[in-house]
Amino acid sequence: MDKKRILIANRGEIAIRIMNACKELGLDYAVVYTVQDSKSMHVRKAVEEKGSGAAYRISNYKDPNEIFSVADHAGAHAIHPGYGFFSENFRFARRAALRNRPIIFIGPRWEVIRDLGSKINTKRIAKKLRIPVIPGSDEPLYSEIEAEALAEKLFYKQKKDGIEKPSILVKASAGGGGMGIEEVTHLDTFRQIYRRIQNYAKRQFGDEGVLIEQCMRDYHHLEVQLLCSQHKEIVHFGTRNCTIQSTGRQKRVEAAPGFDPDYTDYPFDARKVLNRMVKYSVQLASKVNYDNVGTWEWIVTRDGQPYLLEVNTRIQVENEVSARISRISKHKTPVNLIKEQIRVAFGERLKYRQKHISFRGTSIELRIVAEDVKRGFAPWCGKITRFYFPEKPWVRLYSQVPQDEPYEIPTEYDPNLALAIIWGRNTEQARERARDFLARADIQGEDSRGEPIVTNLEYLMDRLDDVLKF
Amino acid sequence: MDQNYILDSGKYLSGLQDRIIYLGDVKGGLEWGHLQDLLNEVQKIRRNIFEFQEKELLRQIRNLEDRISFFEARVAEGLTPIEVVNIARSVQRFTLQDILENVYDSFTELGGEGDCNIDPAVLVARATISRRVKNRIYFHQVMVIGHEKGKGEEFRNGGSAKPWGNEKALRYMKVAEAEGIPIHSYIFTPGAYPTEDYPGAAQQIARNLYQMAKLRVPVVAFISEGGSGGAEAIGLADIRLMASRGYYSVISPEGAAAIEGHIKEGEQLPRKLVEHCAEQLKITAQDNLSLKTIDRIVEEPPLGARKEDFAFFRRLRYEIIRATDEVVLKTKSFRAFRVYALKRQAMETENGICEEFRLYINWSLSDSEKARLLENRSRKYRNMGHGYNELRQSVVSRLAQAGDTAKQSYYDIRYGLLRHHSRSVQKILEEVSSEGFIFLKTVTEPMRAAYDFVFPKPETPTRTELSTPVRRSIFVEEWEQYISPLANEDRTVTCPNAEKYGCRDLWVPDLYGEFCGVCPSCGHHFPLEYQWYLENLFDKGSVREFNQHIASTNPLNFHGLDAKLKKAVERTNRHSALITFGAEVHGVKLIVAMLYSNFRSGTVGAAEGEKFVRACDKARTTRRPFLAYIHTTGGIRIHEGTLGVIQMPRCTLAVREYIDSGGLYMVVYDNNSYAGPVASFLGCSPYQVGIRSSRIGFAGPRVIRETTGADVPPDYHSAKNALKRGHIQGIWDRRDFRKNLFEAMMTMGSPHLYYK
Repeated sequence: MDKKRILIANRGEIAIRIMNACKELGLDYAVVYTVQDSKSMHVRKAVEEKGSGAAYRISNYKDPNEIFSVADHAGAHAIHPGYGFFSENFRFARRAALRNRPIIFIGPRWEVIRDLGSKINTKRIAKKLRIPVIPGSDEPLYSEIEAEALAEKLFYKQKKDGIEKPSILVKASAGGGGMGIEEVTHLDTFRQIYRRIQNYAKRQFGDEGVLIEQCMRDYHHLEVQLLCSQHKEIVHFGTRNCTIQSTGRQKRVEAAPGFDPDYTDYPFDARKVLNRMVKYSVQLASKVNYDNVGTWEWIVTRDGQPYLLEVNTRIQVENEVSARISRISKHKTPVNLIKEQIRVAFGERLKYRQKHISFRGTSIELRIVAEDVKRGFAPWCGKITRFYFPEKPWVRLYSQVPQDEPYEIPTEYDPNLALAIIWGRNTEQARERARDFLARADIQGEDSRGEPIVTNLEYLMDRLDDVLKF
Repeated sequence: MDQNYILDSGKYLSGLQDRIIYLGDVKGGLEWGHLQDLLNEVQKIRRNIFEFQEKELLRQIRNLEDRISFFEARVAEGLTPIEVVNIARSVQRFTLQDILENVYDSFTELGGEGDCNIDPAVLVARATISRRVKNRIYFHQVMVIGHEKGKGEEFRNGGSAKPWGNEKALRYMKVAEAEGIPIHSYIFTPGAYPTEDYPGAAQQIARNLYQMAKLRVPVVAFISEGGSGGAEAIGLADIRLMASRGYYSVISPEGAAAIEGHIKEGEQLPRKLVEHCAEQLKITAQDNLSLKTIDRIVEEPPLGARKEDFAFFRRLRYEIIRATDEVVLKTKSFRAFRVYALKRQAMETENGICEEFRLYINWSLSDSEKARLLENRSRKYRNMGHGYNELRQSVVSRLAQAGDTAKQSYYDIRYGLLRHHSRSVQKILEEVSSEGFIFLKTVTEPMRAAYDFVFPKPETPTRTELSTPVRRSIFVEEWEQYISPLANEDRTVTCPNAEKYGCRDLWVPDLYGEFCGVCPSCGHHFPLEYQWYLENLFDKGSVREFNQHIASTNPLNFHGLDAKLKKAVERTNRHSALITFGAEVHGVKLIVAMLYSNFRSGTVGAAEGEKFVRACDKARTTRRPFLAYIHTTGGIRIHEGTLGVIQMPRCTLAVREYIDSGGLYMVVYDNNSYAGPVASFLGCSPYQVGIRSSRIGFAGPRVIRETTGADVPPDYHSAKNALKRGHIQGIWDRRDFRKNLFEAMMTMGSPHLYYK
């Protein structure tokens, strides 16, 4: 690769990981930051490595006009959106591709982002390929009568399946991220809730389309990590389990592989289920000509039935959980998915196939967040005065929080402090190492009233026992 | 003795003074012919009246009078259109008050008197008009409705009716209808007062027209000053008379000059240009008679009638009675009698004004006569305002039309011919039997049996099952089928609400692509070309245009219009500002009339009016919903003069007949919709909706400033404010247009619609 320049249009730890990947690939980069983030490690690191000209101050991470102006000014050849912000915004990707001075968008083609960006469209494509999806509507409903008929059908089905407390979810079809979702436990209350969601959807998203689907209760949340090139090459990096989430459905502990039958017992044939999920994911990727990294989200119910939820057309926070246990033959280190992502975005071939990929051990990712678990995971803000984690060969830590100076958590963004990825030969070892790591971590600080910092370290410790267990 | 002649001379001199001032009014100032000097002379004599000897005074007066008469003769010889306008506007001209006092025998003002009035510019009176027939006097009760310009009183507002004034007029029209007495309407208005306050200038005029279209009493109108929409508000009549020195125009000559000369606000209008426009607009009585926008001229003295021209009032009284007679007689079924009566009366007129009538004609109508009255009115307006070209059609399009006709024939036979026929047969039967000709019963009974056989009573209607249509909203297939050409640019635009709501700049391909020209954060609608609607509103490939061959032309030979029309045709590849077509929305067929901005700013002239009427009729015979989508309309096309204005009552009548037949008429305003069309065939719809960010109103801000002297806020005409005032019934998002339209068709309208 020639000396290409990448604009990193994101903040925090992902910006740092992208910088590292660029460095390893021998690419030049520039970063953007807002005034609130000027103390962040990602800015400091960029200035240290590339000089003060490599960091551009912008007013907002979410204004495409600003990002493109910076990209032009910086002479960037490509933009890495990280996760969040523009990573799944097909309009941004399309604009990058169609503007007079095209810029490579490091992610899938905009058409793919668009088509898989809609859960409901994904569901329709999946249905066509006979990939199992959650029972419910596969297009937005606008008619109350139609919706009620379907709701009735779903209740009936659950009763027939012997589900004790059948319920369905009513969602705004244009919504996402848990907004505009309500549960219906009795058919009698359906109409009322349907209307409420419809009005909400109309107000909030300008489209009153509503989806309904069966509400799943007892399940694990799994993901399949794929990497595809623009040359129709598809490989997977196994599965991971992201079942441990906060009440707001934010992931807190992830582990790879998705199930470990050597570690614990499952009420189904775990290997077979994982294989099915992987097979289906690859099938869908090949159908839409997927061409970058992507995550296929699944849920697996107690009876061992996987259902495809959605596709995340971006690099995910937890990508390294899978990467940590994956190794490409002849490579000395585990794979770096961000590096691979950038390579394929520039049109390179993979240079390896599925048979060259092997898996070793178990890895666990811990998301260390300043939040009050006991009070509904409420975010904490204040100043961090001490930020210490043990350094071990089996742990990798990513954080924008400097360890050598006090750091004010910007209130504008999520109070994520660090990601720790811990590897063990097997799940037991990984779990014990994680425990060890958490026990030695030390975070201190106080808020404006002088109260000490609240973090989720204790919560993470408590949940380690649940990892990978159904 | 002495005192008396001086007193008389004083009065006489004051009369002379008025005559000079009047001449000045007509000529647009006292500069002409040194009128000022003449006036000074008269005033000097008046001041020094006691200094003169009787003989000397009379000599002086005679001399002055000769000079004035000479000037009057000269002015009368070469009256130009702008001078006619000046006559009609003069303070000395007769007003409705004079008519009420001199033409009618007694009257009672209704709904206010003088300045104690909801709108002193509109006068309504219960009046009695009498006629002598063979030394017997007969009295007729009529409702007189008209504009009162006053004698310079400010509260009369120069005869410019406010919306509530027109509402008052309508209220008493309904009273007249209830009581079965004819309406005489007198038009003395420079135009309606441009305010949007409820009930709204445009909306109220539209309501008036809608009601007048089927008012079940004879209406006779007399026009002295007919200022466009304001005149139409009470002008939809069975017979329209016009004063020979009156004017009837689509716009004031000054207004036309400002538009034609692109004169900036506040700048002086070149006098020559105003005169030129007055001429081009064809506004005199003679012009209007040859354009057939009026029926008859009531002769005035050469320089126009003033408040003391009693001969003129006699003539007017005769003409108005005669006109009412004519309307009434035309509804009688006895043709011979009608012809006879008219002929006799025609003879009378040739001998000048006649005080005596040969006949007394009762002005109240029976039900069947009322029906005929409405039919006559409908025919009259449908035959008016034909100032368009029919282009030669290519073989292909003629073939297409033939195919279309073949397709339509089912409807025509099922809903058109047979129905109409059945209705008229029924009517004859009813009429004959109701008139109590019992001996005819033996004749009608078998006929009735035959009728029932030919037109059997309909069985229970089998409702067409409408399967719930597939409605997709967010999917790939529906995207990017039609991309606005505006989207092909790599640049950003700033939302006009950016400062208020902090909207981000919009990338043009996004904005005009899948955002449908709508700012995603505040919902501001950027204008889109009309083709977008053709492509996105209707089922793919369902749009079938008709009557493309009806072409706008230049019926008044307005200077410079030909070139402008040519340019418009070249630019749009169309021949008028109105596109009419059949289309489908989720399989439901409807008829659409679309006024679009690219062709002369979507102005309505004779061709547009004709196409609209035909579309209305097509919707009526096929029993389809009728949508008027107004991409933009700038009003009536001023270059077509009153031929354009007449499209207001004409199209409203067609709409009324469509709605009365059980149709569903919806109007959707986009971008800018102003003036005449809104004040008639659009504003009368029961379902009017504005697309977001559109502007709807009667007159634009400039006209409001110039006529009322007050400024209006920038959002004065916004759809939101129109909704607040109750002018429209809702605001639609452009992206919901198709869905809402479909829902409207499903849930609104009578069971008469073909799919119900």
